Parts: sequence; structure tokens; C-alpha cells
Amino acid sequence: MATTAVICLGNRFVPGDDTGCRVFDCLRGSAIPQDIEIFDGGLCGLDLLRLVEGKNRVVFVDAVAGVTDAGDSVVLSGEQVAAYAGRYGHGAGLPYLLRLLPQVCAAPLPEIMLVGAEGALDEPAVRALAERSMEVAIHGTP
Amino acid sequence: MSKRIIRDIPLNRVEGDLEIRVELENNRVVDAWSSGTMFRGFENILVGRGALDGLVITPRVCGICSTTHLMAAAKALDQIAAVELPDNAIRLRNVTLMVEHCQSDVRQSVLMFLPDFSTTFYSAHPLYAEAVKRYAPLAGERCIDVVRQTKTILEIIAILGGQWPHSSFMVPGGVSYVPPLSELNQCRHILKNYRQWYEKTVLGCSLQRWESVQSAADLDAWLGENAAQREGDVGFLLRFAREAGLHTLGQGHGHFLSYGSLELPGDSAVLGNCAGKQLVASGFVAKGGETQAFDQTLVAEHVAASWYADYEGGKHPFEGETVPNATGADGKKYSWSKAPRYAGLPAETGPLAERIVAGDPLFCDLLKRDGANLLTRQLARLTRPATLLPAMETWLAEMAAQPDQPYYAPVPPLKDGRGFGLVEAARGALGHWVEIRDGKIARYQIVTPTAWNGSPRDHAGMRGPWEEALIGTPIADIDNPVEAGHVIRSFDPCLVCTVHVVGADETPLRC
Repeated sequence: MATTAVICLGNRFVPGDDTGCRVFDCLRGSAIPQDIEIFDGGLCGLDLLRLVEGKNRVVFVDAVAGVTDAGDSVVLSGEQVAAYAGRYGHGAGLPYLLRLLPQVCAAPLPEIMLVGAEGALDEPAVRALAERSMEVAIHGTP
Repeated sequence: MSKRIIRDIPLNRVEGDLEIRVELENNRVVDAWSSGTMFRGFENILVGRGALDGLVITPRVCGICSTTHLMAAAKALDQIAAVELPDNAIRLRNVTLMVEHCQSDVRQSVLMFLPDFSTTFYSAHPLYAEAVKRYAPLAGERCIDVVRQTKTILEIIAILGGQWPHSSFMVPGGVSYVPPLSELNQCRHILKNYRQWYEKTVLGCSLQRWESVQSAADLDAWLGENAAQREGDVGFLLRFAREAGLHTLGQGHGHFLSYGSLELPGDSAVLGNCAGKQLVASGFVAKGGETQAFDQTLVAEHVAASWYADYEGGKHPFEGETVPNATGADGKKYSWSKAPRYAGLPAETGPLAERIVAGDPLFCDLLKRDGANLLTRQLARLTRPATLLPAMETWLAEMAAQPDQPYYAPVPPLKDGRGFGLVEAARGALGHWVEIRDGKIARYQIVTPTAWNGSPRDHAGMRGPWEEALIGTPIADIDNPVEAGHVIRSFDPCLVCTVHVVGADETPLRC
């Protein structure tokens, strides 16, 4: 069973919000270590909980806004992402899930990171983000 | 002397892409305008694509109702293919759709509606301290418990659909996966645990006891019967809301619509409505009237107040157009949501409408006594799983008992034609109207529940359902309109698929 999950988030129908989906497409065609699973997490928000439980390390890949410069990527810890959480709504996403995770995870908490990219990306930037996501998935916190 | 003001009120915490403008007179709403603030456009994405592409694309427009969109898309194609589904395909499709309802109804109630009771607005309420303990956002003990429990029921979709997330297991003619007996038994086990949890913590009683509540008087007696029923989420909702006077707010037009849902397999122990054809009845009730048979040809969408190219009156979805026209137009147009109407009337849809259309004795009696208020609306949502869980158990057992029966009826390549798929989503009536021409999608129109409930004005200038429901609402503090939030949230607005496809922001709660 894979011990690490790379969960790509976003909406592939919305330019700028499709970063995670494009990284997923890129990784799906690549050689992936046996202990790593890749998921297209879409817009599933709180329902991603089941994909997180039981893993040692989880790397989310998503677009970010207002975190770094346009075109740049960033690695945030789970705690940093959780700090963005508001209350639950239909649009509640990763921050809400990570904020609640210590209280609702049915297994030991995994190491969690978000690899995020600011703004719309061209294809080379998507490939670079996919490579960075795999580095984090394999080696952990940079 | 009365004072009139018009203000946009901060309801981002209800739904990020919803703006409400109200006109107040002496701190009471006398007019309201609901605006969906982002363009949806996925209907236009579908035009020109392959005939089956709606099965893959539409489930991805919403992270919450993906199975419901899949069901509507599949039903529309079933109709074009003129195929009769095998009983097990009907059962499997139904169970997965009902899983989505059972999860959504409880989450919406405990994670979205009830947390309003824990805000400092209610600090003088006698149940305030308990509300904070139970429902405070990100911390309330009931909120945590609901997140823990509602994650498990979703596993049934993963098992029966063969994939989760982004399942596309419903296809014209049935489903693409045949679950083995071991997986069906696993689903039965998950469902049994969910039912036990729902009975113990949400209802505070057995499903059978709840089913015996047949009138407003029965409900009062049930509430006073024992501590378990008072302390469950349903009991707490009733006690807190009545004390706060919420049963007097959020009336609306009083027109109700249900498309009907959950077709019954030919050979089943589950009994339903609509002459035994569906578990959830279809129909329309005009204010104070009897249930009329539903006729989808009477659905029309207006754009007089919507940011789309104008046409006269309303258009049936088979003739529908989605041509963005983002003009200020002297303020007449104010929403990206169209205005669906049934027989020319706005109509509330959702769990309460389903119960009224079906002639449910409890909810018809509550409607007669108190009108269609926000408490009754929320009560209908929180107790809907009680109407679904027994049928789900029966259908899973029937599938397990008939493992050799088919789940798919062969369908030849789709011919050109038109079809519609109508279902009851968690938030109410959802319809997909599809036209296939030369093997490709020539037209795809989706009318969502929130388009019905949150519609702007129509060609005749009639308000949408929750615009109307806001009329008369007192607002003590225009900068913190908790009362208006209750009204809107009782409809469970989901602008995600009504107006666009991006997740909303997570604006922190102010109050």
C-alpha cells in the first residue's frame, strides 16, 4: 500500500484554477515510485479526508492566490494552510479540511504540505511544478 | 416617520458568490434582490463535444452534487437511447444518489445552518452556551462528530461506482460496474452503522418512532417525550429556533415544485409515490392548492433580470440560450442566474417542497399552521435521511439477493435526438436538457435547484423564492444580518453550480 499521496486539486474547466489538474495529467504519464499514489482531487474539499487517512505523507498541489509572486511556486506546511480556514460552506476547501484534521483523522496524522503556484502557468511551468511536487513527495519538507 | 434604506448586506459567509441587496424600512426588509456574481458557462463548454461527454464533465461542476449531475446526465441519454434499465441498475443508481443526500443533509444542517446559533448574536438566548458547545465552527462537538461520521457513508459511492472521486459509472442503459456480493455486504455494513448513528445523535429515536410523527401536535409531543429526543440535533433545532421566533420568518411565495426522483425497480419491496413509479413524488403545488401533476414542458427560464441576451418571456430549456450579456442595463439586470418558472410562477424546491408535493402529513400540517417558514424548511432537510435510509437498505439487500441479474442493458450508438434527465438533488429540482445532433451535443441546458430558489426577477417582475422569503425579515444590525442569513441558508444555497465553477472563498464569520 502506498504510504505517500500526491493529491492534485482544482477545476480543469477554469483557467487559473486548473493548476492541480494539469499537474495531475503531467504526473499520470510519468514513472512514479511504487509507494506514491497520485489523485485528481478536483473540488472535493472535506471529502478528501479518506484519501489522507493512513498515509505517512500527503502532498497537495493547487493554485494559490496572494501567497507569492505571479508565476512562482511555494511550499507551505499543513499548519500554514489551515490558518486560512473560515467556517464551513459549499466552497470550503483545503484550509477547512486541514484545520479540522487533527480532530477527525482516524489514523496518525501524516506529514502534510501544499505545493502551490501563483497565477496561470504555461506548460514548462506546469512540468516544473510537477517535478517539485514529486521531490517533496519523495524527500519531504525542503 | 419611517426610514427607508437600500443596502448590500454581507452574506459572503452564506455563499461566496451570492450578493443580497435589501431595502429596509424601520429595520425590516421590504424588498430584496439576489445576485449570483459569477458566470457559469459550462453549458457552452459542452456544445460541440461528444454525445457522452456530459457524463464526465457535468459531475465535475460541483464537488458536492457530482453524483446528482451524473444521474441527470445519464437519464437524459437513457431517454435518447429509449432504453429500459434493468432493476439492479435502477437500484444501484438510486442508492448512490441517496448517499449524497444523506451526507449533504446532515452536513448542511450541522456545519452550515446550526453554527449560526453559536454566534454572539444569540448570547442572551437560554440555549446559547449549549449551542456554542455543540455547533461552534471548527470546534463544536457535534460538528466534529458529523465530519467523522459523514465521511464513511461516501465509501458506498466509491464501492458501487468503482471509483471515487469523479465517478462516471452511470451510462446509458445502466451502470458500468457490477459489484460482487462481498462489496454489497460491505455497503450494507456501512449503511447500518450510519443509520444507527443518525438515529442516536440526529433524531434521538428510531426511524420507526420518527415516522409515527404525523402532525404538528405529534411533533410537540415527540419533543417532550424524552431527553434523547430533545437532545438530538432535530430536538435542539426545534427548541432553539422556536425560542428565537424563527418559525415566523422566511415564508416565501408558498409555491412548491418537485421533479420527482428515484424510480422504483419493477420488482421491489420499496413502495413509492406517483402511482408506485418513484420514491420521491413529482408535482407542483400553487399556494394553498392541491398537488398538480408535473409537466416538464411548463418549465421556462427568463432572463429579463439576468446578464444574458434578452428574449421575450421565458424559454423552455430545449429552446434555451446561454448568451452572456454583461450590461448594467440601468440596473434591471443583476444576476448571472437565470429565472426558472413553472407555469409562469416562481417555485421553491428542495426537501420541504418534496414533502409538500407528496402530501406528507407532518409537513402539510406544519405548513397549514405556520406557513413555509425557515424552521420547517430546515426540519425537512435534517429529517429527509429518515425517509431514504430504509429504502437504501432494502435495495442493497435486493441487489445482494439477485447477484446474477443484469446491471446494464446494451445500447447501440446514440442516435440524434433530445432527452431530459430530471432528479431531486440534495437542494431540490435539477434538470439536464440535452440535444444530440450529428453525434455531438448541439444544446445542453442545466437548471439547478439554486437557480429555482435563488432566481432573480422574471419577465413579469416577480421576485425569486428567497427574494420573496426575505420580505418582512427584521434585521437588527445591517452590518451583521444574522436573520437574513437564516432565511437564505434554510434554502441551502449552492451557487457553485448555479452561476460558475470555482470554489468560493472562505470569508471568516464576523458575528
